[in-house]
Amino acid sequence: MNAHSTILPVDLSQLSNAELKKLELKIARKYSGMFPWEAVVWAFGNLAVWLSLWPLVFMDILPLWAAFPIATVNMMLVYLPTHEAQHDIIARPGQKLRWLNELVGHATSWMIIFPFEVLRITHLDHHRHTNDPEMDVDITAKAPGPWSAIWNAIQGRQPAAKRNHDYAAALMRAGRPELLLLTLAYKLGFIAILGTLAWNGCAMEALFLWWLPYQIAITYIVFFLSWAPHHPGIEQSRYRNTRAWKSKVGNWGSMWMQFHIVHHLHPFIPLTRTPAAYWEVKPILEARGCDLGEL
Amino acid sequence: MERGLKAIVWFLPLIFAFAFLVPVIDQGMQALGLSAPFGLSTLTLALILAGAWGLFAQVTGRWV
Repeated sequence: MNAHSTILPVDLSQLSNAELKKLELKIARKYSGMFPWEAVVWAFGNLAVWLSLWPLVFMDILPLWAAFPIATVNMMLVYLPTHEAQHDIIARPGQKLRWLNELVGHATSWMIIFPFEVLRITHLDHHRHTNDPEMDVDITAKAPGPWSAIWNAIQGRQPAAKRNHDYAAALMRAGRPELLLLTLAYKLGFIAILGTLAWNGCAMEALFLWWLPYQIAITYIVFFLSWAPHHPGIEQSRYRNTRAWKSKVGNWGSMWMQFHIVHHLHPFIPLTRTPAAYWEVKPILEARGCDLGEL
Repeated sequence: MERGLKAIVWFLPLIFAFAFLVPVIDQGMQALGLSAPFGLSTLTLALILAGAWGLFAQVTGRWV
């Protein structure tokens, strides 16, 4: 597949770097600026479905074995709407719908036990330092293959994991040490809710509606959002620190991450528009020597 | 303040073990119809297993 661009000339070989850059920005702007209603519906729809599982299970309307996979999908779906909000894609500071941008971020990030501001600061730091062994907060996702990537994702959630220290260091660099305290409060709140449920006879519900779905989802998110698009995670230059790749589970199964290179180059493009932007900008990416895999 | 926070972080694995793992193991065994060995109750066994695992996680810095 290759979109016929109305912006690009047929032959790019005679264009200078500046001219390529100008055309790339023109394409990027074409796919940005619209209100990403999908992200908003996704955020609150997902939250509503997950919250509804609790009374449905407690009232024996839905069996726990059926609710567990739904809760797992809900947890997998949490991150990307907050990610749109982290990049101010729903609304930028000063815009009329800024409150909605912040609401989407805060209303969803707690499900994966992170304050929204922590996710925003650390993720923007990842963009600034992609693949930097010392500064990239997601560098611990780096692994030689998919199985080791899954293992690394699990190891990244251990009490003494380097990933915890990398996140803390990013907050300190940003001058936001108070967010360490807020993060700890979220973790303690999570344990308090799980413990309260569990010691009141609802341990299985807490396990299969939140704790286990959360663990599976974070592994999935780290695998598809951190490891796969940055593999092999060696180069740090703008056009080589992220790649395009063909996912075996398709675009929906990998949550648009096949086109993550577009996001890193132009983070203001809404997630669901990155495929179209990719196909149009692909000739420029080829001219820039990007790793586009088989996509 | 900082010392207190570090102490809480340090004890998180044990806090998690006794707050959550104990009832999960206890109620999980009951749901599966399993009984504890040596005449122990499922809760006692859960306290031993979760406590040991939590202690391991706290000392080594990893659950697995």
